[in-house]
Amino acid sequence: MYGGDEVSAIVVDMGSHTCKAGYAGEDAPKAVFPSVVGAIDGMDIDDDANTNSNTEDAKTNAVESDKEKGKRKLFVGSQALNFRRDQMEILSPIKDGIVADWDMVDNVWEHAFRNCLMIDPKEHPMLLAEPPLNTQQQREKAAELMFEKYKVPALFMAKNPVLTSFASGRATSLVVDCGGGSTTIAPVHDGYVLQKAVVSSPIGGDFLTDCLLKSLESKGIKIKPRYSFKRKEIRPGEFQVTDVDAPDTTESYKLFCQRMIVSDVKDSICRVPDTPYDEKSYSNIPMTSYELPDGQTLEIGSDRFKVPDVMFNPSIVQTIPGMENYTDMLPSVRGLSNMVIESISKCDVDIRRELYSSILLAGGTSSMQQLKERLEKDLVEESPQSARVKVLASGNTTERRFSVWIGGSILASLGSFQQMWFSKSEYEEHGASYIQRKCP
Amino acid sequence: MGGTDAKDILGLPKTPLSLTQEKKSRPQKESHRKPDGISREVYALTGGVAPLMPSIDVTQLKRRPPADEKVVWQWLPFTNSARKDDLQLYHWVRVVNGVPPTGDYSFAKYNKSVDILKYTDDEYENHLTDPVWTKEETDQLFGLCERFDLRFTIIADRFPLSRTVEELKDRYYSVTRALLRARAQSPADVANHPLMKEPYDLTRDKERKRALSMVLSQSRHQEKKDAEILAEAKRITEMRLAARRAEETDVSANENMGVDRADGVVPGRSVSPSSNSQLPATAVAPSTLTMADYASTLASLRMLHVYLRTYGLEQMVQAASSAVGLRTIKRVEQTLQDLGVNLKPKVPTKTVCDEHLELRKEILTLLNLQKQLQYKESEGSSQQREGSYAAAMPDTPKDRVFATDPFSFGAERPIIKKEQKRKGPGRQSDTPSPAHKRPRKMKASDL
Repeated sequence: MYGGDEVSAIVVDMGSHTCKAGYAGEDAPKAVFPSVVGAIDGMDIDDDANTNSNTEDAKTNAVESDKEKGKRKLFVGSQALNFRRDQMEILSPIKDGIVADWDMVDNVWEHAFRNCLMIDPKEHPMLLAEPPLNTQQQREKAAELMFEKYKVPALFMAKNPVLTSFASGRATSLVVDCGGGSTTIAPVHDGYVLQKAVVSSPIGGDFLTDCLLKSLESKGIKIKPRYSFKRKEIRPGEFQVTDVDAPDTTESYKLFCQRMIVSDVKDSICRVPDTPYDEKSYSNIPMTSYELPDGQTLEIGSDRFKVPDVMFNPSIVQTIPGMENYTDMLPSVRGLSNMVIESISKCDVDIRRELYSSILLAGGTSSMQQLKERLEKDLVEESPQSARVKVLASGNTTERRFSVWIGGSILASLGSFQQMWFSKSEYEEHGASYIQRKCP
Repeated sequence: MGGTDAKDILGLPKTPLSLTQEKKSRPQKESHRKPDGISREVYALTGGVAPLMPSIDVTQLKRRPPADEKVVWQWLPFTNSARKDDLQLYHWVRVVNGVPPTGDYSFAKYNKSVDILKYTDDEYENHLTDPVWTKEETDQLFGLCERFDLRFTIIADRFPLSRTVEELKDRYYSVTRALLRARAQSPADVANHPLMKEPYDLTRDKERKRALSMVLSQSRHQEKKDAEILAEAKRITEMRLAARRAEETDVSANENMGVDRADGVVPGRSVSPSSNSQLPATAVAPSTLTMADYASTLASLRMLHVYLRTYGLEQMVQAASSAVGLRTIKRVEQTLQDLGVNLKPKVPTKTVCDEHLELRKEILTLLNLQKQLQYKESEGSSQQREGSYAAAMPDTPKDRVFATDPFSFGAERPIIKKEQKRKGPGRQSDTPSPAHKRPRKMKASDL
């Protein structure tokens, strides 16, 4: 590879929805799994007077092998999560884009390294992807964890928008990252993020999934999670569905399973409308059908267009029954095109034209159909005449989902990057705060 | 070679060379033989002739590694001189005969950075103090400049206090210039330094950015609205002008030629309506017409990009005389011949062609006015216009009109004005000039 030098670095991108890990220099990450963990709180067998709902007796083997009493047992990875366990709560280590629980993050990394990639972290330099507005404290904690526990030889922390920009071969661009937990718009100039111009909104893929779920429930459709029924083929072509009772399942697990199903519905059916959504024009739209795992057929009409339009017009959320608890955060949240314009206006005048002509789409939600076209159309109207607006997105949906990881893979395998690693000896000499200097 | 292969495939006869010619071509064939290393068909793809500049060294293509070398790839640690610590990472290395390659890491040479001048505290005290900037701020600024290699957009983004990019640039460049001046032995040493030759101008930069932000601030939506409003305003002013012109036309003449046109035709340029509105309508009417046609033919000529000047002149003449009848055209040509001017100029330079066109236009105007005059006379209002027409004059027709007709004196004035204006640019071999000079002399004496 021209300019490349493989040092077998590992690239880890922990997003709010999925965690991606793999070798640098490859096209796609080897390990992709949800970045939530299932947690069963273990309890000392004698003590059961606790009124807390999630502290009941857990399954036998796991707890008995634990020496410490009251320690949680965490389950990571899609295989572990898809198996229903009693009292397993689904928890996310990331809240509002920043890490809230380092123990969970530790478990996630452990799972990625030992079970998925099967490597020894001691031998491989690590490249971590971090959100653009990460605090100094978070970075230091991550560096500490990596060096102390996993004993990596070298570490680097790169910002997500920079990696996306490198994945498309540009040093300057405006990155629109539509991820699971949030949507972040960040301008990148010459390989550095302009932090004062980063705009973020809590509307992400998960939010849209919730909107769709609530909308379907309000229409009376019950989404049955996969564990709650058994489907048998009694005669060729004919199925019998029997309900399975699972009384000890937690609410969060049920919601997690339902969300998995609904997000598949969203991926396959939803489309971004060409013009802002309004009830009247879409009231007579023909219905599309979708077959749920339990055999039910869903007929979805106007929701197909209503739910994705929430990204461009957040006030629509009020019309979806069941989402009223989000209306108080609405005034501060703007639509996607407005956020793009706002971000560019916060930048220096000289680079605005260049940013307009290289807007990159990244993230899982960005592979929604017609999103690119709608964004381009909206921006062309709002942007100045002399600026040429161009929204770029790779045609391959896999590339859009993993563009941050791919950028990291490119960066870590460049020859001229090898001088920039934050090595263990530097960590021991200067301390974790030196990372601020080393990783701009 | 490729050609004969193609002919074989298609079954066409090869070139019908005679035997003797084939013999001649054979010695040439020796030099065209394919070079070693690539097959005949591949070489034929290049056209059968070696390229002027050798793009790929053909001998390298099938070269195999020499048999005596033993090449192994090993996973070995390496050091990187661009790093300040002693981190050793591993990579694949091509080991020949058990000897690993020596030398620095091949990518270390790309580690370049910008030279930033560093000042001591004394130097700061003596030369670099500034009312707006404290020492800490200046130190921070220089630290960031070093880290980010003078990328001021990013430096402004990371600077803890909020300062604009221009202010940061201004401070950096003025400090560096002061340092250079202070450290130099004599002013002449540093005069050639690029920073001294072209100093950073804060106000100009601010102005430029302000202008740029104004250009970029209007969204397309707003610009469309602005353009619509401007077009509407233009239409309204032109309608008003046309209305005024229409009034004046009704008042004086009843020549139809210009009246309808004056309402409808509006030349693209805003200069013409304003200048024409000074002149009385009768003279204006034909001239607006011709101006309009002139503009449209100019546009059509520009489409051609390259054209002969005589052709262009013909087009203009046609445009100018398109609205008048055949008889008038004949009279114009007759007048030209009387004046001794060729119908087509002999030397069609730009000035000559322009003057020729002007002359034709003026003759047209003259004839129009004559017609108007006759019409008025035939209405039988005034005894002033007697008989001078009857006498055949040896002078030019223009002289006649100028000499005898005080009534349309006012109307002639614009033509005279035009002549006087025309005298400005250099006029070389224009035969009409003596003719025009005479009327003006008479004018002065008349007055």
